[in-house]
Order: sequence, then C-alpha cells, then structure tokens
Amino acid sequence: MARPNDELSDDELSSDEHAPGALGYVLVWLALIVLATLTLFASRAVTGGWGLVVALAIAGAKALLVLAFFMHLAGGRPVHRLTFAAAMAFLVLLILGILADVGTRSIASSYVDDMGGRP
Amino acid sequence: MTAPARVPAVQIQYDSLERQHVTARLGMWVFLSSESLLFAGLLALYAAYRLAYPVEFHAASTHANLVIGTVNTYILLTSSLTMALAIHATRRGRRRDTVLLLVATMAMGLTFDVLKAVEYAEHLAEGIAPGGYYTYEGLAAHGAVLYVTLYYLLTGLHALHVTGGLVMLAWLTVRAHRGDFTPGSHIALELGGLYWHLVDLVWIFLWPLLYLIG
Repeated sequence: MARPNDELSDDELSSDEHAPGALGYVLVWLALIVLATLTLFASRAVTGGWGLVVALAIAGAKALLVLAFFMHLAGGRPVHRLTFAAAMAFLVLLILGILADVGTRSIASSYVDDMGGRP
Repeated sequence: MTAPARVPAVQIQYDSLERQHVTARLGMWVFLSSESLLFAGLLALYAAYRLAYPVEFHAASTHANLVIGTVNTYILLTSSLTMALAIHATRRGRRRDTVLLLVATMAMGLTFDVLKAVEYAEHLAEGIAPGGYYTYEGLAAHGAVLYVTLYYLLTGLHALHVTGGLVMLAWLTVRAHRGDFTPGSHIALELGGLYWHLVDLVWIFLWPLLYLIG
C-alpha cells in the first residue's frame, strides 16, 4: 500500500545511516582483492567450460559486494534495488534468449554463412 | 574577493533538500540501469559469438595482455575504495581528506586509461585491429576477428566511461576544494561515486570475459 509522501522515514531521507564506515569499506575492498586473486588462480586451475562459469560466479560475488556496500544498495531504499534488479533481469533474459537461439542451431557452419562468412 | 558560500538550492517542487536528494538518488539508479543495458547489447553479442566460436575465442584471448588487464583490475577496485572513503570523509566534515582521496581516485583512473592505451598500441602494432583492419596472421582468422572486434568495442566503451568519470571527478574535486559539500548535503559527490562504482562493476565482468577465458 502506498504511503503518503510525508511519511518517508529519516532513514529513507538520508543515505548516511547505511554507510558501512571507513573500516567497513576497507574490509569490502580486501574481500574484492582476495576474490580477484582467487579468480586468477581458478582460471589457471579450472580448465574447459567450467573455468568461465567459476570466473563469472566470482565476478558475480564481487559485483554484489560493490553494489551492496560501496553503492549502499544494502539497507538503502528498496526502490533502488528494484530499479537495478529490473535492468539485470532484462540483461539476463537477453543473453539467455540469444544463447538459446545460437546454441540450438543444428549446423554451426550455417551460422557462419548467415553472418556473411568473413575470411 | 572570496566567493560566497554556496547554499544548495531547493527546487520549487520539493519541500526539503533531503526529499530532493531522495529523488536525485532514484534518478541516478535509473540512469545506471540504462547504462548497464547499453553494455548488455555488447555482452549479448559476446555470448553469441563465444558460443559459436569457442576455440577461436580461446586462442584469441591468449593474446590479450593478462598482466595489464589484471593490474588494471586491482587499480579499479582500489579506486572504488578511495571513492567510497572520499564520501565518508565528507560525511565527517573532513574537506582536505575528501580532496586528497578524490585526487587519488583520479590518479588511478588515469593510470587505468594510460595502461589501456599501452595495451591498444601493442595490439595495433601486431595488426590486431578491429573489423576489416585486422591483419594479424597468427590466429585462425574468422572467430578471432570477432573476438578482437568485441574486445575493442567492450573495452573502448568502458574506457570512454572511465574518461568521462575522470572529467566528472575533476569537477567534483574542484567543488569539494571550494567547500560546496557539507556533511549533510553532498548529493553530487554521492551520485558521482555511484557512477564511478558502476564503471568498476562493468570491468569486474569484462576482465574474466576478455582476459581469462582460456
């Protein structure tokens, strides 16, 4: 149910309440550096198709850390999370749709021909 | 003559500066969402071509400069920290710290751009150029050209965002220096920080996709 405008809480009016503080920021940064280094090792250790899956999973974790703490989505107004989540949902839909198309074409070479077959 | 202290103006449709800032923050998130969708188009192309040419993409990605790509990853992650700390310093009323942290953020953004330019120069010297300008003979041509072209489009669009961010940071630094931002009112700095973090966010995905797919 919609609330009247003047009932926004102090928390919603100010983003300061949700700021992690200097130490919090440094800890998030440390986690990001550790995860980046982990990606580097994982990309050497895990070969084949799973390498990319692992790398993207770690990238997703890093993205969540940046969004939640540096960009204050954790604890901020829910409408910020909703707005960005909507964009991400469309991004995922677009990529899944394209993968479903390209991945189910029977002959890979017809794809090349469709694209004009650059040398 | 010293300039008078700048009092932030409340637009006529808001009953307070705080409420105006609530709207500004939402507007920024809408903007960042549409920015993400700008990259989504290129990422979707990448997904399609990678699925069609897995072997060629793998081979071509080994020609990306992993050292520069990785150093740039650490640089951008760290610049996100200094950006967040700059806003934190403003909240504590520490103007000098804010300016220093913003300058550090800019220095890292500039280093990122310079390293990126070095990388581009290396590729171009080898003939690894986008589209029809591709002349490198060490790779099976067709899929490799698609990887290389997407590499330039994705990293180029991202580097443009870094460069735009640098201009924005310079403007914010000037404003911070002259005392425009107070602990209770610094929405431009806050929104600028969000933009800089988004640039970091995009690179978090470009790095594994373009440098680590081997």
